[in-house]
Amino acid sequence: MASGVSGYAAISTRVRAMYSDLLTPQEITRLSDSPDFASLVSALKNTPYGKHISGLKDTDLTPRRVILQVRQRLADSYSSVVQQAPEQTRPLIKQMYRYFEVGNLKAVLRSIQTVSSWNSDVAAWDRVREVLFPFGSFASIPAQAMVDSGNIASAVDLLKGTPYEATMSFAMKRFSTEQNLFPLEVALDLAYWRGLWGEIKNLTGRDREMGAKLVGSLLDLNNLMWVIRYKIYHKLSEEELINYTLPFGYRVKDEDVRAIAAGSDIAAVVSRIYPGIADVNALLERPQSGLPKLEHQLKQQVMKQCVSAFIGYPFHIGLPLAYLILSDFEVQDLVVLIEAKSSKLKDEDFRPLLLKTSMIQ
Amino acid sequence: MLFPKEMSEVELIVPSKDLVAVTKALSGYGVFHQVDSAHLGQQEGLGQNSWQEKAGALSAMERRIQAIMQNVGLPEDRPAKAGIESVVDLEAIQPSVNRIEAEVKETSDQLSAERKRLELLESQLHQLEPIADVKVEVGALRKSSYMHSILGVIPAANISRLRTSLLRVPHVFFVLREDAQKPVVWILGPKSNSDVLERAAKSAYLNPLGLPDEFSGTPEQITAMLRRDIESSRQKISSLEADLVKFGNTYKAELQKLLWDVHTSRVMADAIVRFGQLRHTYVVVGWVPTADLPDLTARLKEASREILIETMRTSRSGHHSNVPVALTENKWLKPIQMLVGTYGHPSYGELDPTLLMAFTFPLLYGAMFGDLGQGIVLFILGILMHNKIIMKGMQSLGLLIAYCGASAAVFGYLYGSIFGFEGHLVEEYLHFHFEPTWISPMENILSILSIAIDAGIIILLFAFLLGMVNNIRGRDWAHLLFGHTGITAFVFYICFLAMLGGFLGDTALAPRVAVAINSLPLPFTTLLAVFGLAVMFGGFLRNMVEGHTLIEGRGVGGFMMFLIQSLMDLIETVISMLSNTLSFIRVGAFAVAHGGLSLAIFSLAGHEPDLGFWITIVIGNLFIIGFEGLIVGIQTMRLHYYEILGKFFHGGGMQFEPLKLTPSKEEASS
Repeated sequence: MASGVSGYAAISTRVRAMYSDLLTPQEITRLSDSPDFASLVSALKNTPYGKHISGLKDTDLTPRRVILQVRQRLADSYSSVVQQAPEQTRPLIKQMYRYFEVGNLKAVLRSIQTVSSWNSDVAAWDRVREVLFPFGSFASIPAQAMVDSGNIASAVDLLKGTPYEATMSFAMKRFSTEQNLFPLEVALDLAYWRGLWGEIKNLTGRDREMGAKLVGSLLDLNNLMWVIRYKIYHKLSEEELINYTLPFGYRVKDEDVRAIAAGSDIAAVVSRIYPGIADVNALLERPQSGLPKLEHQLKQQVMKQCVSAFIGYPFHIGLPLAYLILSDFEVQDLVVLIEAKSSKLKDEDFRPLLLKTSMIQ
Repeated sequence: MLFPKEMSEVELIVPSKDLVAVTKALSGYGVFHQVDSAHLGQQEGLGQNSWQEKAGALSAMERRIQAIMQNVGLPEDRPAKAGIESVVDLEAIQPSVNRIEAEVKETSDQLSAERKRLELLESQLHQLEPIADVKVEVGALRKSSYMHSILGVIPAANISRLRTSLLRVPHVFFVLREDAQKPVVWILGPKSNSDVLERAAKSAYLNPLGLPDEFSGTPEQITAMLRRDIESSRQKISSLEADLVKFGNTYKAELQKLLWDVHTSRVMADAIVRFGQLRHTYVVVGWVPTADLPDLTARLKEASREILIETMRTSRSGHHSNVPVALTENKWLKPIQMLVGTYGHPSYGELDPTLLMAFTFPLLYGAMFGDLGQGIVLFILGILMHNKIIMKGMQSLGLLIAYCGASAAVFGYLYGSIFGFEGHLVEEYLHFHFEPTWISPMENILSILSIAIDAGIIILLFAFLLGMVNNIRGRDWAHLLFGHTGITAFVFYICFLAMLGGFLGDTALAPRVAVAINSLPLPFTTLLAVFGLAVMFGGFLRNMVEGHTLIEGRGVGGFMMFLIQSLMDLIETVISMLSNTLSFIRVGAFAVAHGGLSLAIFSLAGHEPDLGFWITIVIGNLFIIGFEGLIVGIQTMRLHYYEILGKFFHGGGMQFEPLKLTPSKEEASS
């Protein structure tokens, strides 16, 4: 216990302070009430995101720039937590942070694949950089050089020496025959989550227990949505579904994934794992609109797990992990709001997409 | 010290002829934070892209020289005589680079082709080794009529999943080589299931072995042939590498000089690209710490007699998000700066809380952990850590522990506590007289709690004032008047304290500051109501001062919703003021708990001062120093992060990143 207290003294205090800076559901509601994008930005300036946004000149107040600044706060949170986390847990936090780099890598690869259809007046990199997560000094991929290389094979060559080299070397064989990014993206996802789970297995005691609970819940969400989407949209075979999913998690077990892959009723499996989610059948009847709703409810389950981590004994990795996950969800909500307000969406079109509702306190 | 270094904005008009000399002066000393001023230049007719092209060409040349040096195995060291002359003429050095590159290229290309060949041969050998003892024709595996066979490498992590995916299909699965990087597996199943096997293998990223068709015979025969080829390839590579080392020795001095010249020229060209170009002059804009300005000005004048230098000291008042922030470096304050840094980087004009925290952190720590003996132990421990005698690499933390230990020792003297011995116990066991010079927390529990709240109130009032100072300096009038730490909230807090003083009256727990405020001849009830309303409608009033939409999100829930939200704001403010104030009670509570914990140790030790007694006392003291010392540290941090810093410190400043040609100022001047 003493090592837990000594290791987590500073970070628990700091994370609790940062946790109290997260937006409340009421604040999210107030932000959603902003009549337009300009009012939303003005309201955001009065929140803890204000200091990130206030540096933008009026001419830079585009939705993309504002989203970048909002994400910058999440990046700052990760840097802060990584620096203060006990030595043995840093690899886990860093691996968790890599989620955004994996996202950047996918965005870079997609841009290379589609760059020929873009307007050539604007340099490819200038367009791509705006949508990348501000990964800062943790970045290991040479994003600009990859975009500038102009083709997937040369771009992947530039990943030598990065954590993605081995994964991509296997996946590239498939890309070269299929000319499709799907195998690359799936391989990156699987490697990322396997790495994350491996880092949890390296922990001990309460750290391992809390890590498995929180990261496992996130993994459940992804694993379940993968198998359902691959089955419904991609019509993949049983053996492919099994190979494109993972056999571990917190509540979703390998048997559940295999049952869906083998053709069991998806709604029955989901209802058995998450009895609290109502009308799964109805959601799956119309997958186009139902699957996002299902994913939304699964994310809210993860949020509840995260909020519960702040109750009870505080000296473990659960608090920083929960805070980072909640921050990420908060940023997702803000991105929804920024895009909704800038596209002038109706309330009923975007409000149901918000994660932080009064249900999650 | 109280604020980040004062910065001056510098605008230079540099004659074209002195451009390089001035750039050299600016980039050579690490004090000039450049601002992109290219937009200040004229847009057409001046060949404004020439420097951009030059920077690009220099960068490409730098990469070429680096590549040559890498090929011949030379480190990228600075040459023995590394000066900064001017921006190199690319055309002048091009022939030298071309000549060396051409000489090196042929050998280097041969080497890289041979290495690729060796890699391929080794990979083929590696693939075949696990099945070297299988007496079967490799070609036969490909041509089987009834069986479908897949032999290949697979990511190690995918093996178990691939096995799982084939559970319902008849097959045989061999892991021929257990390898963390590239394990080799062999799957064999009926031809009728070939599509399932292929799909499973493909989705598990299994890459079939790429053995050329010309390979025939058993694996043993093929591996013997491959080994012979590998040996000859290795010999060829060694000979080519020796040739390259010879090139390296021949061209070492020339290449290092070329790289240094091109590197410094490229850094200067990159800087010039961000200057604004006029017809005969350049406009340069940036920031310099005011203290470094005279030195830089002198160097600039030395570089150009006709340069025009305009400097503007930037006042710390107003909003300056564009001013880079350079903090004063002081090794004695480093641990405190580290604590502040985890909260945020100060912005320009904002009070740097380091000095305040350097005072309050040890003060609150010492008040909670007051013990002369244990404080001295902590102090010594901190000094040993700081001087790297124990726990190397934790010098900053050591200094913080030393400060806290010293403060704990002072409070121990005031509380009359030494290694947990207090009052008559000191005389009984340590045989000398030691009385509290101020107060004994254990004997005056309510008084020490009340004093703790008083101290908290004073610190909070001070924090409110600092918050207002920051608002005034930032000319943030709306928040100064109606912010959560503004004048309205401050007066409301004073009224709230008066009410608290009146409510607790002459009880022992009553904070004296609150009672004193209550005794002032002011209509606190009325003031509380008036300022309560101002706090309640703070958001509305702030919007009014700033000229924003008065009610955010109007129309949703109507006026009633606005009233309810405002009421909730008021309730939240009252609760937070009460909790912030009472939060400091922990300072007194821990002082009492310290005495209580010592008593518990004495209960365990017994009454007779025998060996067992002293062993228990020593172990008990070590436990208190380690355990309680840590908990008190957490509480002190909590008080600062939650109750104090949040009142006036926002952070979010831009870091000062000066232009540097060389890694440090010292190097530049050497």
